[in-house]
Amino acid sequence: MANDLITIDKPQITPGERILSRVMLFFEDLIKVPLFRCQHCGECILSYTAFICSQRCPKRLRNGPCGGTGENGACEVYPERKCIWYKIYLRSKLLNRVSLLYKQNKIHNWNLDHTSAWLNVFKKRIAPPFIFIRHDKQKIKDLIANDPERED
Amino acid sequence: MTLKEKIESKRFVLCAELGPPQSCDGDVIRKKSAYFKGYVDAANITDNQTALVRLSSIASAKILLEEGVEPIIQMTCRDRNRIAIQSDLLGAAALGIRNVLCLTGDYQKFGDHPEARGVFDLDSVQLIATVKQLNQGLMLSGYEMKKAPEFLIGAAANPFAEPFEMRLIRLYKKIQAGAHFIQTQAVFDLELFRRWMERVVALGFHEKVAILAGVMPVKSVKTLTYMQTEVPGVKISEEYIWRMQAAPDPKSEGIKIAIETIQELKKIKGVRGIHLMPVLWESIIPTIIQEAGLKV
Repeated sequence: MANDLITIDKPQITPGERILSRVMLFFEDLIKVPLFRCQHCGECILSYTAFICSQRCPKRLRNGPCGGTGENGACEVYPERKCIWYKIYLRSKLLNRVSLLYKQNKIHNWNLDHTSAWLNVFKKRIAPPFIFIRHDKQKIKDLIANDPERED
Repeated sequence: MTLKEKIESKRFVLCAELGPPQSCDGDVIRKKSAYFKGYVDAANITDNQTALVRLSSIASAKILLEEGVEPIIQMTCRDRNRIAIQSDLLGAAALGIRNVLCLTGDYQKFGDHPEARGVFDLDSVQLIATVKQLNQGLMLSGYEMKKAPEFLIGAAANPFAEPFEMRLIRLYKKIQAGAHFIQTQAVFDLELFRRWMERVVALGFHEKVAILAGVMPVKSVKTLTYMQTEVPGVKISEEYIWRMQAAPDPKSEGIKIAIETIQELKKIKGVRGIHLMPVLWESIIPTIIQEAGLKV
């Protein structure tokens, strides 16, 4: 099975695109910062995390919560906050998007940090957002059952 | 028999944790190795746990190898970026270390250097994938190595932290990424663990990965309350606290409860081993293993 977490051909960004990216990031921020408190990672996975920015996690985890989520979902680092992945899970359930949480989010390309995710989608450097989802429960079942590495 | 062979042949596995000293005194590890040799299959060496500076886990592992104990190094993402992680793993492989436990790492705020910069370049799922890729002879960059390491990949799971459903998703991700064995957070609440294992077995995860249940012997009521209030993601049953409080000798009661927990865990379907976590109380390992009737 191909490894979803690692991409060997790493997308690069040219100096010219960086200027364009900066302009686009300005407009992107006008929407994404107030709505999702975007942290400008440039590899947006908002659509997979029920439209809550996972990069607000102190450990910047992209694949689910660490083992320290406390009572009622408190963050271990800042107990007065809620664990961001706790919020993501609750909202995913509400929006029937739990199957999207099974996606392996790949290693962050720091070269794309503070660039426009919209430009990156347009340039096919990152996957496009996944807006609509149907038959979420069935999808989870298929995910677990149709596992190619399963031994039995 | 190495840990890898034991896990592949689906035998019952015993692991225990060793905390390196907060100094360069390697003799501490040599002395502690006596508690592990012949009692456990492998010793986990913590990687600056709770973000306290300690002797490096790879160096400690080398000392253990010399003493004839098979080490499992813990590798956290807190202190290293992807370059350092790969380099350290290659170094560990060159020293003859064959097992690595991939963790995200405790946040630096909990340690003695709370002002430090946390790296968290990778997360634990991505770290597992990185080790798997190294095993295939490829670096993250795609560079083909002349010689590939052969790591047995471990990962952690916490059945006791919220959101519970998300824990199973994360376990699934870790299995997909290439984990061979899973060590769980210390079990202080058997009922909760049983329920979690039922879910794991129902999803068939126990067949794809060896699940080693964590057991922590506790010395006193104080430690127990500390675990409950200060360590996030630990759940302790009321019965446990009540028993510890009522006991005239909390130390021996703690050992007794640990042994009972091990015996109960052995009966649970899907549990393929025990992982002992005697935090800075390694001398108790032989007693617990012998009294629980376990053999390597």
